[in-house]
Amino acid sequence: MKNKKHIDELFKDRFKNFEVTPSPQVWENIQSELQNKKKDRKVIPLWWKVGGVAALLALLLTVGNSLFIDSNNIEDAVVTSEEVKTPDNNDSTNFKTENKIESVESISTTEAIASEEPEVTTPDSKITTTEAIRHEQEKILKSSNRITKNTTDSENAVAVQNNSTETSEKATVTTNKLIKSESSLGVIEKDKIAVSKTPMKTDSENTVNKNSDVLPSKNQKINPLIKEGLDATKAEAVTISSEEKTKKEDLSTEGVSEENKKSIQDAINEQEALKTEDAVAKKELPEDRWDVAPNFAPVYYNSLSQGSSLDPTFADNSQNGDVNISYGVQVSYNLSKRLSIRTGVSNVDLSYSTGGVELGTGPVSAALKTIDYGGKSVVLTAVDQGTFQEQMNNNPDGGFGPITPKSSTGAAEISQNIQYYEVPLELKYALLDTKFGVNLIGGLSTLFLGDNEVSVMADGFRSTLGEANNLSSVSFSTNIGLGLDYKISRRLKFNVEPMFKYQLNPYTESSVDFQPYYIGVYTGFSLKF
Amino acid sequence: MTLDELIIQCKKQNAKAQGELYERYSAVLFSICLRYSPNYAEAEDSLQDAFLTIFKKVEQFKDKGSFEGWMKRITVNTVLQKYRKQRVFDIAREDQIEDEADLDIEDEGIPLDFLLKIIQELPDRYRLVFTMYVLDGYQHKEIAEMLGISDGTSKSNLARARMILKTKVESFKSNKIKDTTT
Repeated sequence: MKNKKHIDELFKDRFKNFEVTPSPQVWENIQSELQNKKKDRKVIPLWWKVGGVAALLALLLTVGNSLFIDSNNIEDAVVTSEEVKTPDNNDSTNFKTENKIESVESISTTEAIASEEPEVTTPDSKITTTEAIRHEQEKILKSSNRITKNTTDSENAVAVQNNSTETSEKATVTTNKLIKSESSLGVIEKDKIAVSKTPMKTDSENTVNKNSDVLPSKNQKINPLIKEGLDATKAEAVTISSEEKTKKEDLSTEGVSEENKKSIQDAINEQEALKTEDAVAKKELPEDRWDVAPNFAPVYYNSLSQGSSLDPTFADNSQNGDVNISYGVQVSYNLSKRLSIRTGVSNVDLSYSTGGVELGTGPVSAALKTIDYGGKSVVLTAVDQGTFQEQMNNNPDGGFGPITPKSSTGAAEISQNIQYYEVPLELKYALLDTKFGVNLIGGLSTLFLGDNEVSVMADGFRSTLGEANNLSSVSFSTNIGLGLDYKISRRLKFNVEPMFKYQLNPYTESSVDFQPYYIGVYTGFSLKF
Repeated sequence: MTLDELIIQCKKQNAKAQGELYERYSAVLFSICLRYSPNYAEAEDSLQDAFLTIFKKVEQFKDKGSFEGWMKRITVNTVLQKYRKQRVFDIAREDQIEDEADLDIEDEGIPLDFLLKIIQELPDRYRLVFTMYVLDGYQHKEIAEMLGISDGTSKSNLARARMILKTKVESFKSNKIKDTTT
């Protein structure tokens, strides 16, 4: 008789020592998966960290570059002025009286201004100090033309240059608008040079004298600065005129003065138009560098990695960033026309929720380790649903054994709220600086941890677990963003700045696989003072 | 390396220790995968997933109970995960628990390969319930919870699985007898 067995027993016996070695392919797959994970973890955050630094570097390089180009321009300008002087002197020796008069016509005020206008109205081109200097040099060319009409003496050109360097000194601190008004000023002064010289040469002619008398009196009203310039010009012109008189006798003074009358009139008109603007610009110039900007932003918080900051078991759970609010104030200082540095302080609220959890009560030792429960021995906590089920089913006295699940009908989730005080230090570079501005922003923020809270929510139930204990009290973020602005008035601007901020060391333990960032669209008005 | 050392090194994600852990336990865990899966390929997939989960969650292992038991549970759960998502509802005649028929069988001359083959050929849930209850010692209540079914369904599935297996074993035997006699 063969021994019969219950089918269960048969299978049990036969499978008791059942072991099968899997194919080596399985281990190879596992290894490549493990390596992929490591790579993924390292590559992404490093890129972002570098990104922030790169943005800063790019900004600094741009600044450095523009400075370097500026110094080149200065050298160029010096060379130009030398070149200008010599040909003018040569030309002027060959000049005949008629030619001179013609050239006076051609170099009328309007033309001079017209030639300057393209440069003034193009905001992209760098109108820097050196540009202003170059401007002056161009005017020297013109004015020296005028002067050389009257005289072949090279001393004149030098005298004029002295005069114009004075103007260029003023120009060194100008803004866009200022350059425009200054340059027209410069033109007027040059005209005056021509005018004031003319009467001196032709002392005897009354009509010309009248003209020259009218000019200073009008100009005195318009702008005292012109008077200064005029005085200087006069003083120089006097020395010139003594030589002129002896040298130039065949000059048709009537023709010259007529032309000058015209150009003076034009210049006065121009001057009056720009008068108010000029005066204001002069006034604000020294203290125009500060901006204060209160701002407000919705901020979205999320993580670049899959992990959880609360517990590794939550890594595969559904996790969602929430939108919160940041508000604060920023102060910026304009280092140059295009570059500003800014700092400030903001209050930032961030929150993040983790789903797929089970709520339960148990001893602190079995609860989530990353939460400070405030000294209680039996606490409400949350565990990963999957892990919980697994542990409960298979190992009643295992890791989560002591936790009694709370009966709740709805899906439970953990919500973590973090509040920071943010102190940014950022550079802002203007790519486009017209009525609408486009800026590139890069920098760092220091984040001081304020309140933080971990709470749980289930269907109609909400309770605070405690504070997360793994957050750094001081951490940093790299910031990069785009600044758009609209200039409502000269002092008031409306700003919209989408910013990306990547947190560098938000957690005290570097093993936490949670790489948070936040995105905010900072909106507000900025006021110049 | 002792097992404790191996666990510590694995917690540090030491690649060498992970390799050794695989060396030691892959055969045992693969046998579980084979019993729970319909074929060899799926069993290998499950083994791979199970080890990845083990390496990921090893830091949560607290020194209570056996490490091997912990790994086995993870492996079982990994396999079950697939069917939990699937949720096959074959409610037909679920509540009819068949009478305990004569399930005794002679155990001679049946190769292990054949037994494994007929387990794998069972419909998914019959296979899971049978291997969990008979080979891994789970109770119907646990099985019901883990598979998201009722106790009754678990019992009925087990009974059906037994019947199918018995039939197959018997036909195998009669074929064999035929073979030997002819």
